[in-house]
Amino acid sequence: MSESFAAAAGRKMVSRASAEELGKLAHIVVDVEQRRVACLTAGKRRKALLVDWENVSGFGPDAVIVTDESALHEARDDRERAAADGKLDLLGKRALSDMGDDLGPVTDVVFDPASGAVETLVLGDHEEPATALLAAGSFAAIIRTEPQQ
Amino acid sequence: MRSLVTGSSIRGLPVVTIAGGEDVAEVRDVLYSPEAGRVVGLTLNKRGFLAGRRREVLSAETIHAIGRDAVMVDDESSLLLPADAPEEVGAPPSGRDVTGDEVLTDGGTSLGQVRDVVVLVGSKGEVVGYEIETASGGTGYIPLPVQLAVSGSTLVVPEATKGFVEDDLVGLGAAVDEFRSTVGI
Repeated sequence: MSESFAAAAGRKMVSRASAEELGKLAHIVVDVEQRRVACLTAGKRRKALLVDWENVSGFGPDAVIVTDESALHEARDDRERAAADGKLDLLGKRALSDMGDDLGPVTDVVFDPASGAVETLVLGDHEEPATALLAAGSFAAIIRTEPQQ
Repeated sequence: MRSLVTGSSIRGLPVVTIAGGEDVAEVRDVLYSPEAGRVVGLTLNKRGFLAGRRREVLSAETIHAIGRDAVMVDDESSLLLPADAPEEVGAPPSGRDVTGDEVLTDGGTSLGQVRDVVVLVGSKGEVVGYEIETASGGTGYIPLPVQLAVSGSTLVVPEATKGFVEDDLVGLGAAVDEFRSTVGI
């Protein structure tokens, strides 16, 4: 079963240790080189907290289960602050081909909730495999359009 | 069918790194060599409102592709200081602007005056034609052979070009390959 970024937004995050709700899923940050989910964020602005993917014990249809409350931490550097503000989001980012053509925004990202591996990028009415993703920066996500040798 | 853009529509395009997805500059101007029949480089502005000129330039060799919506480079090291760029880019000779040049066929017919260059989308700057102002004041697009004679104010094209004056870039994109096989290059 695959999960999608767009469908998962706003899902409640719950501590496995205490069964307390820790917040709502706000942003999903992708490690582009590894093509997998790196961390999740909960809450907004100064109250935003991050949890590394390693501490997500279950990503289910109704809730995201985090090992325990201590796994959530505040942003520790500029990159994490940018993540918490949604500036690193793949979802909604402009997609640009490596040949310089605007492909429209990334409308969804499909991933494996067991491994965190990103499988597919949805660009409006067409899809690109995660292997076509070359980079994601502040301006655009770069999509390879030339066939790979 | 080729996808084409004019030189003026390349100006202002963001310059984006493939390695990082960052917009590191934008195109200030297109450096064109009429002898080579291609864009040899681009001068750059900083990104953003009221941002000024950037010293660095892009040489055609460091351009990955000139696209419809962006100029793609591998990474920020593709931007060269003028001293490190080929001379035709770092210190371009003056007086090579083809705008205003008269286009004559080798049969002696004037097709009009050059207004802009037409660049192949996705290339490193291959120029496949010119936008011209025709004698009647209208806009036309002509394909170019790979080799052509240019002087300071006139360029001479094959007589067959007369049959390939197109009304728009779409027409030119469709005509380029047929033209090139007609004139045998």
